[in-house]
Amino acid sequence: MTSLRLSKPDTDTLVPFIGAVALILCGSLVYPQFLTLTYLGQQLQISAFLGVIAMGATIVILLGHIDLSVPWVVGGAAIMSTALVGSGDALLGAIAIPAALLFGALIGVINGFGVAIMRIPSMVWTLAVNSMLLGVAVLNTGGFNPKGEASATMVWMASGHLLGLPVAFVLWMALTAGLTLFLGRSGFGRYLAAIGYNEKATFLSGVGTPRVIFTAFALAGACSALGGVLLAGYANQAYQSMGDPYLLPTIAAVVIGGTSILGGRGGLAGTIGGALFITLLTSILSVMQISNAWRSIIFGLIILGVLLFQNLRRKAAS
Amino acid sequence: MSPDQNPIVELVGISKHYGATAALEGVDFACHAGEVHAVLGENGAGKSTLMKLIAGVIQPTEGQVRVDGQPCTLPNPAAAVARGLVCMFQELSLVPDLTVLENLMLGAPGTGLGRLRRDVVAPARAVLARIDGGHIRMSARVADLSLAERQQVEIAKAITRNPRLLILDEATSALNASVVDKVFAMIREETARGIGVLFISHRFHEIEALADKISVFRNGRHVDTFRNGDYGYGAIIGKMVGQRIDDLFPPKRSTPPGDEVLRLDGFGWPGGIEDVSISLRRGAIVGLGGLDGQGQSRVLQGLFGLLKGTAGEIRIGGNPVRIATPEAAKSPELGIALVPEDRKTEALILDQSIARNLELAALGVPGVAAEDPAIYQPFTDALELKCASLDQPVGQLSGGNQQKVALAKWLALKPRCLLLADPTRGIDVKTKTQIYRLLRQLADQGTAILLLSTDYEEFIHLCDETHIFYDGRIVRHLSGDDVTAENILAATMNMAVSEASHA
Repeated sequence: MTSLRLSKPDTDTLVPFIGAVALILCGSLVYPQFLTLTYLGQQLQISAFLGVIAMGATIVILLGHIDLSVPWVVGGAAIMSTALVGSGDALLGAIAIPAALLFGALIGVINGFGVAIMRIPSMVWTLAVNSMLLGVAVLNTGGFNPKGEASATMVWMASGHLLGLPVAFVLWMALTAGLTLFLGRSGFGRYLAAIGYNEKATFLSGVGTPRVIFTAFALAGACSALGGVLLAGYANQAYQSMGDPYLLPTIAAVVIGGTSILGGRGGLAGTIGGALFITLLTSILSVMQISNAWRSIIFGLIILGVLLFQNLRRKAAS
Repeated sequence: MSPDQNPIVELVGISKHYGATAALEGVDFACHAGEVHAVLGENGAGKSTLMKLIAGVIQPTEGQVRVDGQPCTLPNPAAAVARGLVCMFQELSLVPDLTVLENLMLGAPGTGLGRLRRDVVAPARAVLARIDGGHIRMSARVADLSLAERQQVEIAKAITRNPRLLILDEATSALNASVVDKVFAMIREETARGIGVLFISHRFHEIEALADKISVFRNGRHVDTFRNGDYGYGAIIGKMVGQRIDDLFPPKRSTPPGDEVLRLDGFGWPGGIEDVSISLRRGAIVGLGGLDGQGQSRVLQGLFGLLKGTAGEIRIGGNPVRIATPEAAKSPELGIALVPEDRKTEALILDQSIARNLELAALGVPGVAAEDPAIYQPFTDALELKCASLDQPVGQLSGGNQQKVALAKWLALKPRCLLLADPTRGIDVKTKTQIYRLLRQLADQGTAILLLSTDYEEFIHLCDETHIFYDGRIVRHLSGDDVTAENILAATMNMAVSEASHA
């Protein structure tokens, strides 16, 4: 069943959290410093970058679609926000973040148009959009690393602390909670899952499905853009293809979080666990003294293992 | 040619169940060499199931199939073809992207593992030439042929496989009369050579002209087999219709229907309906009948905003309206609801709970508390919905209970005009009576109901008037005493009704 409420976590949602805790405990056997507050705080902060992007991806995947334009929405938003700040104009600097979010939402609307109106499979349409965004970015920057810098707000959002917690993490949690409430209370949330299970039956129930698809992709675009702003704040700059390493981990985080890649079943709460799990796994593998090749192989195996476990458990439960 | 000789195929005590529904029940049936054997029956009587069993497409749940007196199983169509049982199906079985030549060679005797035999081509050409298909080029892609040409290719393909029993399931539905005559002449010749022919057709005159023997099926049972000419038209229809269950239906209302709710004038759509005019009044139940795909379901789709580019006019409460989407159709201003034909893919989301399914149509409609289960309860109670809880996934319910959910989710919106696409197809009798009772009750309360059905009993006992469709048009409007099984069946086959039937 769909569980869009934080108050009713099901086993699907809990698995990635349990996995994340297990990773920390296993890691700490070899590296005791894994249990320090500094390390854990740092992991929460880095998870937030992936988590914010994955939050948007969850919405699109619940719908039964996929957004492959994530890398260059992330990159584009980062380039845009740092360029606006770097212009030196106070007003442009002030609107840097909203402008980047608007840019992401706009790309989402373009994605929604292709999927809902032109009826092109999202996998193809969003891939094409991603490619075009790459082209536009290269045209804009001439292929060099874009000039510009992050504003103080962006740096604070990415690296600051609030009540001892990383601001990025607090922001991520607040947004997830807000979005979860919105999905739980509004028709939009119900429509999302209904379309994911059966778009035809939902449309025949008199639901304006194109509007739902537009909104979902726009939200996802804005989330990816926020991820880009945070990454730019973290690195204090934007660089070409900074979003590229985020596409597959984003999808992995969503699916490990219990959301069905076919749409319908799942929710945002699980994605938090998925993002934590993926981030911790990457971090632990990177401190281990093994070659990159083995790191990739082990990463893939563990992801497959978790998914297989989820599938088998679900089968046993039904 | 004596019917007493061993039959080619014999079915003994055959039953075929799909879940809880029985498509065939305890059927004994035999086809003999040198005979044209027609199978008659209503939609859902089990005719196609019978053909599929003999052709090896499906397996019986119970009973025995005998070929030449030997019990055997036909695990797949190839096994049936190997025994000389060749079927030409209602759903055309040609590969659209291959050429005529390639289709003729596919699965021809002796073909396999990359070996294609060209020697089937010459006889196939000869057959095509005989049935007015000589102009069909062997290199033409099947997808580019007309439906009639495809049927001609199908017939040629079937005949060149040297059948001992040729099964024709609505094989000539798209052919015009002169071509059909030629096909018949050829079939006659084949039977004279000792081939058996088993065929389904909804065209009564074809059966009269061609059949030696007629078998009637009803509700999955073999009712009777007799020689062509033993019974008159009326008696045969009587066998198809069977005994009426009178208390299945609630009594009709006596008061006349009220003001006009919906009016269609010259309604048309390029994809298959033309000049359809229907008037629907408050409290009336109007039936839409006809064979499958004659345009009646398109009318419902058009009224629910699912067709683009419709012609003609729709009036609701006297005002002309344009219905662009289902969302517009369900708005309180129009108040139209459609319960679609296919419960599992169109009406419901099987993976979601009953509660979620119930609220989906009502969510976001102003003035409706969609998330309050109480607004659905009067309808689920009236229909006696059986479920563990409202959190149970709809996919776990029986077909009848699923249909109850599909109805209740729309009824909570209190539609002015309820469009129903065959709401009782494949549903048990008890649920049918519950649905009929609720529909009558809704009509008495003023809902206008447009009921598409494949069960003419519903037209006779539930509807106030009925429009029969044929080839995208309304060919007959029946009301009052004219609504008889005979008139309905005659109209669905677009045949003139004999004067005697008005008695």
